[in-house]
Amino acid sequence: MSKWVIKGLRTGIKTTQYPRKMETASGVSPGLPTAAKGTEKEVQELVFNCPTGAIERSGNQLTVDYNYCIHCFRCKRGSQSPMGWDYGYEWAANTKDSGANRGLGSAFNRSINIRFVDGGACGACISEIEQLNKPYYNMHRLGFFATPTPREADVLLVAGPVTDHMRLPLKKAYDAMPTPKLVMAVGACALSGGIFGPSFMSDAGVSELIPVDVAVPGCPPPPLAIIHGLLLAVKRKSSALLTSSEVRG
Amino acid sequence: MVQSLNKATEWLNLSEISANRWPGKIKVRCKQDRFICHMECDKSIVADVCNWLFSELDYSFASLVVEDLASEQLLTYIFYGGFGNGLICVSYRISNSTTTVPSISNLIHAVDWHEREIEDLFGLVFEGHPRLGDFVLHEEWPEGINPMRADFDPSNPYIHREVDPDWRPLRIVQSPGAFMMPIGPVYSDFAESAHFLLETVGEDVIRIIPRFFYKYRGIEKIAEGNAVEHVILLAERFSGTSAFAHSLALCKAVENISGIEVPPRAKALRIVLAELERLRHHIGAIAGICSSTAFAVATSQASILEEELLRLSGVLTGHRYLFGLNILSGLSIDLADDAIGMLAKNLRGLMVELNKLKKLLYFSSSFLDRLEEVGAVSLEDAVSHGLVGPVARASGLLRDIRKVLPYSGYEKLDFTVPGEEEGDGYARLRVLFAEAEQSVNIINQVASSLPPGSVNAKSFRIAPGEALGWVEAPRGASFHWIRVGEDGRVLRYRLTTPSFSNWHGFHLAAENFAFQDFPIIMATFGLSNAESDR
Amino acid sequence: MVEASNAVVINGIIVFLSLCGIGIILAALLSNRMNPFGLSLVASIASVSVLLVGGEVLLSGHSVQTELWTLPFLGTLTFKIDRLSALFVFITGLVFLPVSIFSAGYLKRYLNRYNLKTFSIFYYLLFASIVLVLISGDILSFLIAWEVMSIFSYLLVNYEHEHEETTRSGFLMLAMSEAGTIMVILAFLIMAKASGSLDFAALRASAGGLGEVARWAVFLLSFFGFGVKAGLVPSSTWLPRAHPVAPGNVSALLSGVVLNLGIYGITRVNADLLPVSQVGPGLIVLIIGSISALVGILYAATENDMKKMLAHSSIENMGIITAGLGAGFVFAASGLPVLAGIAFIAALYHLINHSLYKSLLFLGAGSVDYAVGTRDMDRLGGLIKIMPWTALFFLAGSLSIAALPPFNGFVSEWLTLQTMLQSSAIHSAGEKIVFALSGAALALTAALAVTTFVKAFAMSFLGMGRSKRVKKVGEVRRSMIIPMGILALSCLLFGILPTYVVPVLDKTVAPLVHEKVADELVPPFFTVDKGDPKFGGAFVSEFHDLGAQVGRSYLPGRGLVILHRGLEKNPVVFAMSTSYTFIVLLFLLGGTFILVKVLTRARKVRRAAAWDGGIRRLLPEMTYTATGFSNPVRVIFNAVFHPSTIEDTKETVAGHFRTAIKNGRKEVHIIDRLIFKPITSFIQSVAVTLAKMHAGSINVYAAYVLIGLVLVLVVQRLLL
Repeated sequence: MSKWVIKGLRTGIKTTQYPRKMETASGVSPGLPTAAKGTEKEVQELVFNCPTGAIERSGNQLTVDYNYCIHCFRCKRGSQSPMGWDYGYEWAANTKDSGANRGLGSAFNRSINIRFVDGGACGACISEIEQLNKPYYNMHRLGFFATPTPREADVLLVAGPVTDHMRLPLKKAYDAMPTPKLVMAVGACALSGGIFGPSFMSDAGVSELIPVDVAVPGCPPPPLAIIHGLLLAVKRKSSALLTSSEVRG
Repeated sequence: MVQSLNKATEWLNLSEISANRWPGKIKVRCKQDRFICHMECDKSIVADVCNWLFSELDYSFASLVVEDLASEQLLTYIFYGGFGNGLICVSYRISNSTTTVPSISNLIHAVDWHEREIEDLFGLVFEGHPRLGDFVLHEEWPEGINPMRADFDPSNPYIHREVDPDWRPLRIVQSPGAFMMPIGPVYSDFAESAHFLLETVGEDVIRIIPRFFYKYRGIEKIAEGNAVEHVILLAERFSGTSAFAHSLALCKAVENISGIEVPPRAKALRIVLAELERLRHHIGAIAGICSSTAFAVATSQASILEEELLRLSGVLTGHRYLFGLNILSGLSIDLADDAIGMLAKNLRGLMVELNKLKKLLYFSSSFLDRLEEVGAVSLEDAVSHGLVGPVARASGLLRDIRKVLPYSGYEKLDFTVPGEEEGDGYARLRVLFAEAEQSVNIINQVASSLPPGSVNAKSFRIAPGEALGWVEAPRGASFHWIRVGEDGRVLRYRLTTPSFSNWHGFHLAAENFAFQDFPIIMATFGLSNAESDR
Repeated sequence: MVEASNAVVINGIIVFLSLCGIGIILAALLSNRMNPFGLSLVASIASVSVLLVGGEVLLSGHSVQTELWTLPFLGTLTFKIDRLSALFVFITGLVFLPVSIFSAGYLKRYLNRYNLKTFSIFYYLLFASIVLVLISGDILSFLIAWEVMSIFSYLLVNYEHEHEETTRSGFLMLAMSEAGTIMVILAFLIMAKASGSLDFAALRASAGGLGEVARWAVFLLSFFGFGVKAGLVPSSTWLPRAHPVAPGNVSALLSGVVLNLGIYGITRVNADLLPVSQVGPGLIVLIIGSISALVGILYAATENDMKKMLAHSSIENMGIITAGLGAGFVFAASGLPVLAGIAFIAALYHLINHSLYKSLLFLGAGSVDYAVGTRDMDRLGGLIKIMPWTALFFLAGSLSIAALPPFNGFVSEWLTLQTMLQSSAIHSAGEKIVFALSGAALALTAALAVTTFVKAFAMSFLGMGRSKRVKKVGEVRRSMIIPMGILALSCLLFGILPTYVVPVLDKTVAPLVHEKVADELVPPFFTVDKGDPKFGGAFVSEFHDLGAQVGRSYLPGRGLVILHRGLEKNPVVFAMSTSYTFIVLLFLLGGTFILVKVLTRARKVRRAAAWDGGIRRLLPEMTYTATGFSNPVRVIFNAVFHPSTIEDTKETVAGHFRTAIKNGRKEVHIIDRLIFKPITSFIQSVAVTLAKMHAGSINVYAAYVLIGLVLVLVVQRLLL
């Protein structure tokens, strides 16, 4: 057993400095398209290539609705005029429903319990959420804890488009939570149904069923974006925008 | 070598034998170059033919594909990897109005869940199957509405029916004081949605009633009518942790139909990326096993390696889970030589760490106590239940698609398929470690002699037709059947995933063990419900 | 002989006996429908008279003796009540009173099915014979009363005689009881032979003249003979069979009163008439007690039939009492009368407690059986919502029997276990080891008792109803709830007021050990001054400093139970005060309740269903069954239960689709397996061997005659 102790000590601290400092390591985020300007043909091609309709057009200006972006990179690769790309990860934003659950209040600023519900997620979102519990991200240092029962949860983390069979469990989990409570939708599927919904078996995201307070876009959102979302939920970070701003000039 | 020399003659024999056995009732058509053999037979002999392939010629069952064509229904049983090391599709046609077909799961138990799924989704009743209903579609789904039928409109929401309050899952344990211990669908800290009812009289699990498909998104249905490019996105995203393998299988199927030539560099890079995904998955699974035994230090150590691989994938390809890479005719991006160099260098460092972790784990008796002789699956059971991937290989069923149906250039590589015989949790852990090592070995081989050139074709045309794509996904053999219509849109997309195959045999391992072994056995199986439920 | 001041006792007994007589006549006259009411009324009054008699003697301490008439050749029939008798008489009344009230409602279930007149008559006769056993002053009246008691308890157990199971169990009970009686008779005869009289007083006087062998014989015969009635190992097997087949109220009497008679017999003979003078018998009593306790609770923990479980638990409790007696015998024989006194007090205290909570629990089980129609805990559940009062009182009984403060079981088990720890005063290492092992067995027993009654209460009253019957029932009638309430309240009172009970028990025990220990055990702290020579200065001042005198004018003067005074430096080693604990508990619970109410007064309370993991509906069959709950015990103590698999089959279609998994197991009780099975098989094999001698040939029989003749001659020659 002593070997494990030595091994652990030798490994040193791997945990990210975020949110104290921005994480500078590469590969922590796939990035998101920002905006583009182009000729009529280029603009048309970009809008046409986007499989989920995330790219919105006004004149020759293109902006992105992050609720829909699934990181297919079709507006970046093999395109004549690729979209701008932002490699950040502070993507979490308040939704228009924010405040529907009336927020957590300052008493919860330093520590919250999180219950995760898989509403039909593909596994990548779950894997990224699991990383939060692991050395590189270690959410415990920020006062975030996972709980096995919604009865103790302050924040409900939902990934996936909410499949038909998961509607009831999700609703029951939400109802079982004590107030005050927050709902955080993680990933494009949870925000808009992504590539799966709406369909005969999937909803167009969590907000169809229960009010969502914090949205974390991405497919999947990298762990740092989810941490940003949790920090936003307890008002320790400010909200990003769910739509990219236009290109200036 | 001997086997491959004999291959051509074996194929011929196959058609001769079958024609002699069932004169006039079977038509055999073999494509020697592709190792694919089609047998079109009469409904009355399909069970005999399948049983012949399975029990006499040692073929494994791959998939059952039902197609609701305009005028008739086509059922295809796909077998692979037997005597002749190829694929055999046994098919028969029935009229649109036929609702009952013979069940073969009495003979080949691996077909069991396929038949149950098709009964739910197509409304075809498999005569002789003792457990139909309540599988993909849960109790609130209205009777008689079958979403995979051509006439079902997937855009319409369906109406929930009133659930009978007396409805109960079937219990078969008749011991005094037996009860069902419910787990899920929302359980544990971070777990995929799945529901298990453990029949027990306390302490030991006597029988498991798994209730899955909480995550059923109807991928096969929503793929229909869409362009192939869109369906690639579905293949990639229905199971995010094995995205590259599944999108590769689909791309290969479509490339096969349309005769699209994949440039050699793309072929080689596909292997590199598929093995990178396997490596990352296996290390994640090892972390899962450590975590299930509440071994925090080891979990952390494995998780560090997992996150490092995720970051490495992100740096190399722009996406941590290798999304958006596979396109028809190759890859959407090329990897520069210095990126390949960096990959090789990083993997060397990772292997050193992984070997250290392996050694430490193999000498931690408190950890091994939880795995050894826990959740054992015998070779016989693995064969009869159609298990695949590392789970099957831990029980001695060494069938690896990369060897038996080589694709994308695996046939040119020198690697071994690790196997164990005990079939317990520890054997599964050892297979994961050994396969991870093999993956690094494969990446190194490919990276050292990467052919030059482009990674995709600039122009190609998607032809109509049907084909099967196959791949050894991180969790095991995966088969994607696709039929493309005249307009280039998908008519039928059938996904057979390793998680689906292996969940079917999960009860073999987890029954007759104590409750506290249940999560450990689950972790050593390392299955995904997203992949299984589709 | 009658002392004027004790006329009340004599009159009380006369009133009691007359009431029994009136009851019998009334029972014969009243209709079946009216009988339960009549029984309840008359028997309750009779119980009160018994309580008065017992209480009077216990408090005044005057023995009352009266001679009835003299039988030719046999001697005088004498009745005598001393404190020991009075204590048992008092307990008898304490149990009979609520049980009689309870019977009014409970017996309604037998209307139109059984003759309630005979039930009533048996009931009075049992009651009268029990009291007569306890007040008998000579062997003859004792044995007559004893036999009458045995027969009528058998008849009452056998009341539902239409069931075959009942008849078989009743017969076993009667047979074992008679075997015990024969042993008791032999023990008495040995003693009578030495004294030449049947009178207890004469026996006591001549006890010193008995030889070593005779003493051992008397001890062994009386201990194991009375042990049958007390349900001690190895003669405990009748108990778990008789209880479940008996009517609920009879079960309560059986456990609450009849078992006590066994203990009374053991105490009367071995502590009073012929006091144990050696360590050996004491150790045997201690070991048998500990084994009974452990075996009893192990089977109780794994039993799913409420009444069988309670019956096994009676064996356990009788074991604890016996272990206490055993410790007392050892201490007495080792010249430690104070410790012996404490041990006897602990045992008798536990006896009272057991009578109270066990009859309470049997009434509870009877109520459940009455309302739901099943006692199988696997099929109960959720009754708290339907039968809140029964649930509350059953909970009180469960807490008491699980020895949780502030209820009564805690006090006596604490005393018993602490007394075991005092074995350090004994010098012999071997005896110390026996004490240590017995203490360990009793501690394990106590832990398993908690498991058992967590299971009993939770599986029956909490959670969801596991059978459809449960949903259709309602609370039992008030006449059945009130007696349970009386018993529950008694459990609480005997729990929080031990300092009042101990002095009374001390006076009962004092004649047996010739030592008064009340001042040791429950010292009068609050009335004693710091300078009192009887108590060390540090000892008294510690309590003064602790502020234990707060409320001294309102609270019991002897507020604490102390077991070891320790040294001057560390004055108190073992002490507890359930009365103060109770008050503190009240304040803590009440305070918490008020605090929570105040803090959350602004909040709206939202009630939601229990979290079930998100499934559509949590079904009753998804909750733990009693079998499942106790399965760990079954697994851990596999060696004791030694189950044999009777069925372990899997039915499949086509080898893989499983359609049924059956497994069951059969257990033979460890006592049957280790003791009775070998004896029966030995006797059977002897019988088979002997049968072979009957070859049917005339020559062989002629040879037998010849051999027999030779043997007789040889024997005669040797003897003469």
